[in-house]
Amino acid sequence: MNMRISVKRTLIVGVLLLFLGSSCRRDEYQIYELDSLGVTGLNTGKNKLKTSSQYISILYANLFQKALSANQLVEITNLIESIGDKQLAHEIVVSNLMNRPDVRIPTMTEMRADVDGFIDETYTRFLVREPTESERSWFRNFIVTNTFVSPEIVYLSFALCDEYQFY
Amino acid sequence: MHRRSFLKKLGTATAGAVVLPYILPTGRLFAASGSQIAPHVVFVMFAGGVRQQESVLQRYLADSQQFPSEGNIMNNMLVGAAPVLKAAYGTDPGVGPRGSVPIPAILQQSLQAQGLLFPELRATTAGHYSGYNTLLTGNTGTTQGLRQKPIYPTIFEYLRRHAGTPASKVWFVGNTIGNSLPLLNYSDHADYGVSYGANFLAPNLTFSSTGITHLSNAKVYHPEEEMAPMLQMKYFLNNSYNSSGGVVLPNIGNTDEEKQDIRDFIRDTFAKVQTNQIAFPPVNDNGDLRNVGFACEVIRRFRPALTVVNLSSVDGCHSSFTGYLRSLHRADHAVGYLWDFIQTQVPDMAGETVILVSPEHGRNLAPNPIQDENDWYAYDHSDANSLRTFSLMAGKGVPQNLVRGSENNPLGSSMDHVLTMAEILGIKNEVQMSGLLAPGTLSLFDRI
Repeated sequence: MNMRISVKRTLIVGVLLLFLGSSCRRDEYQIYELDSLGVTGLNTGKNKLKTSSQYISILYANLFQKALSANQLVEITNLIESIGDKQLAHEIVVSNLMNRPDVRIPTMTEMRADVDGFIDETYTRFLVREPTESERSWFRNFIVTNTFVSPEIVYLSFALCDEYQFY
Repeated sequence: MHRRSFLKKLGTATAGAVVLPYILPTGRLFAASGSQIAPHVVFVMFAGGVRQQESVLQRYLADSQQFPSEGNIMNNMLVGAAPVLKAAYGTDPGVGPRGSVPIPAILQQSLQAQGLLFPELRATTAGHYSGYNTLLTGNTGTTQGLRQKPIYPTIFEYLRRHAGTPASKVWFVGNTIGNSLPLLNYSDHADYGVSYGANFLAPNLTFSSTGITHLSNAKVYHPEEEMAPMLQMKYFLNNSYNSSGGVVLPNIGNTDEEKQDIRDFIRDTFAKVQTNQIAFPPVNDNGDLRNVGFACEVIRRFRPALTVVNLSSVDGCHSSFTGYLRSLHRADHAVGYLWDFIQTQVPDMAGETVILVSPEHGRNLAPNPIQDENDWYAYDHSDANSLRTFSLMAGKGVPQNLVRGSENNPLGSSMDHVLTMAEILGIKNEVQMSGLLAPGTLSLFDRI
């Protein structure tokens, strides 16, 4: 009798344990993390004014995708020094470089085929950063609306803007 | 009630009547308080280090090479007969000794006869850059570093700030970009600085063969279809940068119109260079003379209120006394030509201009050991004789044929030029009130 009860109890306990064992599961935690994002503007780190030689060598690389020769670097740097209004001197140098046949600028068709891509590429090329969404949106609207705006004119504005004068 | 209202209106009207007339179109609040002697000043920094003995003292070779030949080799600036013996400072004849043909005077009457000469002025320094600083800031600049912007405000900044003169009316025409010359168009002073700077130009370089290569082929953009959208995009980019805490770009303050004028001037000058139409002096075989030719182009185009022109070929005296004499004679030719050009080719400025001429310092009493092709000894600049210099001015409102001071009675300082120019241009009180001139500095008019 006692033996029969013992077996029955054992079976009940076993079933209960089996039930309990199958019902207990480890909690699965969902962990949500955020990437760190800076809250300052994208261009605030640029506060050192480029020297004339830095400006011209970087500009040349941006426009021609190759380095300026040492002789030309000295010559153009000296010419910039010979004019007191540096913004004006830069304008004259840039407009001379734009007149050279080997300057590497996307065509009008290329720009208009992918305006966003062109904007991103131009920001990266000249300002070494991506545009903010508002900047991208403004340029997109401006280029689309003004059908005569050429890539050369866009490049000219970037080469002469304040941010480009700093690093 | 009516009485109170009447008094209130009266007070407002009186205050308005006092303040409103002084808000000028140039943006400055008050008109210059001093009376103007002339609306234009041309200041020639007769620089490079000019020895008293060969200039105002007219001793030619007598006090330098122990050769008994005296005379005046600055026939446009000074009164005096030319040396008779061993002329080596002129142009080269087809046949005969090199430099034996003096350049004929351009002016019928020398500047000395036309104006006021201080033959024995004291410079504060025997260094070029500190000497330039002294001439342009009216201070000693004893703590002025080389390759550093002037510590004290320059006459350019005084003029632009206190007279509201536009940037394109204030020019500094340098003969080179060496000797830190391009740094002199404005100071680092917190109350003045870049916003009041002068337009600097080193035309010998800008319009050189390298200038033709890199600057003369500027693309011409359509003003409405290309330049206008370019400027729109540039302004957008600038706003974006500045609103994100960007640094303000140093800017001497040429307006868009002034920039266009200067751009046009540069383009036109390149065209003149390529067709040999620059207003060079009759003899133009050195950098000083060519620099003055370009300065004449600047003056003709912009009619500046203030033009400073730098010369410095005489500094070749470190190694060649003959070269120094030639350069000194040519610097005089340049000054004579410049003054004649203003009187004959620039109607707006003829009779309305004052010219000032002064070296930044002198040269040594004793020579160094270097001898040139004539076996003449060269001179450096470091001793007390290097602090001896002179000043000459002529033009509207300047006393004629007047000499003040002498070899035994020095009078005036090289620092006096800033206040002198300020007085001519009507801002003397403002410059004095700035408190930034060296103690004891006076206008040369006050030295008379």
